Amino acid sequence: MAEADTKSILVVGSGMSGMTAAIEAAEAGYNVYLIEKNPYLGGRVAQLYHYFPKLCSPNCGLEINFRRIKSNPRIHAYTLAEVESVSGTEGNFSVKVKVSPRYVNEKCTACGTCAESCETEIENKFNYGMDKTKAAYLPYNMAFPMRYVIDPSFAQTAEAQKVKDSCKYDAIDLNMQEKSIDLQVASVVWATGWQPYDASKLDSYDFNNQPDVISNVMMERLAAVNGPTKGKIVKPSDGEAPQSVAFVQCAGSRDENHLPYCSGICCLASLKQATYVREQYPDAKIYFFYIDIRATDQLEDFYNKAKAETNIEFVKGKVAKIQKGPDGKPLMRVEDTTKESLRELTADLVVLATGMQPNLAITPAPADIKYDEYGFIAQNGTPAGMYAAGCASSPGNVTEVVSDGTGIALKAVQSVVRRAN
Amino acid sequence: MSIKTDPNLKKELREFGVTNVDNCYHCGNCTATCPLSTSDNSFPRKMMKYVQMGLKDKIKASPEPWLCYYCGDCSVKCPRGAEPGENMMAIRRYLTSLYDWTGFSKKFYTSEKFEYLAIGTVGLIVGLILILFHGTPDMEHAKLNSVWPAHIVEIGDVLMGGVLAFLLLSNTWRCISFILGDLKSKIPMGIYISQAKELIIHFLTQKKFAECEDRMPWFVHLMIMTGYATVFLLVVGFLAGGIHFIGLYDERLMFQRDIIYPLYHPIRLLGYYSTFALFYGVTYAMIGRLKKSKPSYKFSHSTDWMFLILLQLTTLTGILIHVTRLVDLPMPTYALYVIHMMVCIPMLVLEVPFAKWAHLAYRPVAIYLTKVKAAYVAQAGSSETAE
Repeated sequence: MAEADTKSILVVGSGMSGMTAAIEAAEAGYNVYLIEKNPYLGGRVAQLYHYFPKLCSPNCGLEINFRRIKSNPRIHAYTLAEVESVSGTEGNFSVKVKVSPRYVNEKCTACGTCAESCETEIENKFNYGMDKTKAAYLPYNMAFPMRYVIDPSFAQTAEAQKVKDSCKYDAIDLNMQEKSIDLQVASVVWATGWQPYDASKLDSYDFNNQPDVISNVMMERLAAVNGPTKGKIVKPSDGEAPQSVAFVQCAGSRDENHLPYCSGICCLASLKQATYVREQYPDAKIYFFYIDIRATDQLEDFYNKAKAETNIEFVKGKVAKIQKGPDGKPLMRVEDTTKESLRELTADLVVLATGMQPNLAITPAPADIKYDEYGFIAQNGTPAGMYAAGCASSPGNVTEVVSDGTGIALKAVQSVVRRAN
Repeated sequence: MSIKTDPNLKKELREFGVTNVDNCYHCGNCTATCPLSTSDNSFPRKMMKYVQMGLKDKIKASPEPWLCYYCGDCSVKCPRGAEPGENMMAIRRYLTSLYDWTGFSKKFYTSEKFEYLAIGTVGLIVGLILILFHGTPDMEHAKLNSVWPAHIVEIGDVLMGGVLAFLLLSNTWRCISFILGDLKSKIPMGIYISQAKELIIHFLTQKKFAECEDRMPWFVHLMIMTGYATVFLLVVGFLAGGIHFIGLYDERLMFQRDIIYPLYHPIRLLGYYSTFALFYGVTYAMIGRLKKSKPSYKFSHSTDWMFLILLQLTTLTGILIHVTRLVDLPMPTYALYVIHMMVCIPMLVLEVPFAKWAHLAYRPVAIYLTKVKAAYVAQAGSSETAE
């Protein structure tokens, strides 16, 4: 049994790159533990409305992956799980994993009765806090595993007991405890992903006091059918349709006071979001403020197509300030650097293109890993038998991190094979 | 019109304090951050571009550096650490050297050795003159007029004032010519006159400075400026109670006087005000520069320090002379007087026409000229539409 265990691979993070690495390695015949801190798999991609450049929903891609996981007995996925410690060397790592209680067991049919009987509401993290969800909730309508979660802050209340009693399937277990799992693995893949840079740190943009100034990830949720507005792009302040939408690029990126690097994807992400706006509002005025447009290879076609549109104005200049204007709308101050002119413009809705910050920059991995100056795992920064995948090592788009995950799966397999020889 | 570029400009400007200018990637954040920047006169990014590209002629004709009061918001918010605020400061030094037809300013700014030598030389000459030419000192009581009579020192004051005024005004004339170019003669006199009140208002209040978000620098600047202006007036205008040699004076207003005025006397009160204002302002700036407490204090050119040190020494020796006179110590009073003059005269002679003090003319003039230009453009525009 111990022999079999050391032939396993641990993948930390079940976003696009981690999920891919796990599936590829498992389909090649290796045992994989997939550890996810959220109560669902899929990572940030699950929160997107569309991919670029194809402009289709990520759900079909995710569903295919979920099915591959479901049908493969070699993948052992844990949600609400975090790696606490890793010791040992390549081929023989001992890993301690903490699994937080979900308070809902495998009997759950996702019927939703618990949520119906629950009155307490909590911030909906899936929608970046733009709405509330019940304290007994399904993370989102396509969640995998398709199982409800009870918020830990709610589990010990009297109301929780009532919610438990409402479940016909005896699926709620309020006595569920935190568990610790010990794993023996041959290799570890860190696919810990990213988080959007905290827009409230951009003090010149007064993000916290202007509801109609949102971040690009929030825009994805606004446009998504399963989002807080059922897919309708509206002003968060009053729910009205915006007549004008401004995209503010490099909101905290390429800025030594915030993220000094370019995340490489925000330009296209915003151009993609411009298509969301156009889809719903054929006459809305769109502003696009940028320092440089980073549309490489075929993606330049996407940019050229957007430029050809008449009702979109590209202004070359970094927005310096966003304040509440005299009419209450966000007022932006920017230099049009091609004309050396200062402009003050208002828009009904302002979308900040915040960059990707590696999660490990905020909470480093419990392993001897070297990071670059921005908090990404450095090139060759992992000890033998450990590998970085996806946005843990470099910002990237979905296509890039999928191929990265596939490549890293091979490296992880090699660690197992070396051990077996 | 051809545009000339000078590939060596950036190197040359480094001597004046230009720094990190190549970090700039022209996002325009600085210009849009600046509360004083406008579409007609946008800065500081434009100036960064001129430096990067070696556009010396463009810099020479730009009033923009003088429209900046260096609150430093642009530098704080700069995503690249390109220090636009400090570069504007450096360009002001450079412009001061370009306006100066004697070439002295350029030497003063670009060579520390020259700077120290110039100050030392002027100081020594002043000291020698005071030691060689004096009356019979009263050794019983501290009576400055017994050694260096006010009405004679006043002649020196007026002579110095005249030379300084000539140098500063001729440099200012060049400043005007550079900024206006061909327009100088095209703009009708009426416009110059109608905008003249701007010149006076900005000269006296620096009200634009108060539009910066952090108002502390404006206040410190106002203290130094009013303190200095007051004492300048007391020394040059009232040392002997007026201009003695033309007979226009009143003994009751003499600044250099052997019998100390009562506390409530306006001359004594003005003296106290200027001492306090200067001491406060200069000390604030010195501590600021040591601690780099504000963006504008982050970088210090050697001339910035020299300016503050000379001012502070002038103030301190002035205070000491007042004390030795109050306790009636003749010899210390006379010795301190020599030191006082050896410090304040070099500061005046070198800083007013050639260095930092020159901005007292260039800044209000530049603001005035932008108003003149705007009024001219508006008039030309309206007459075109009338046709």
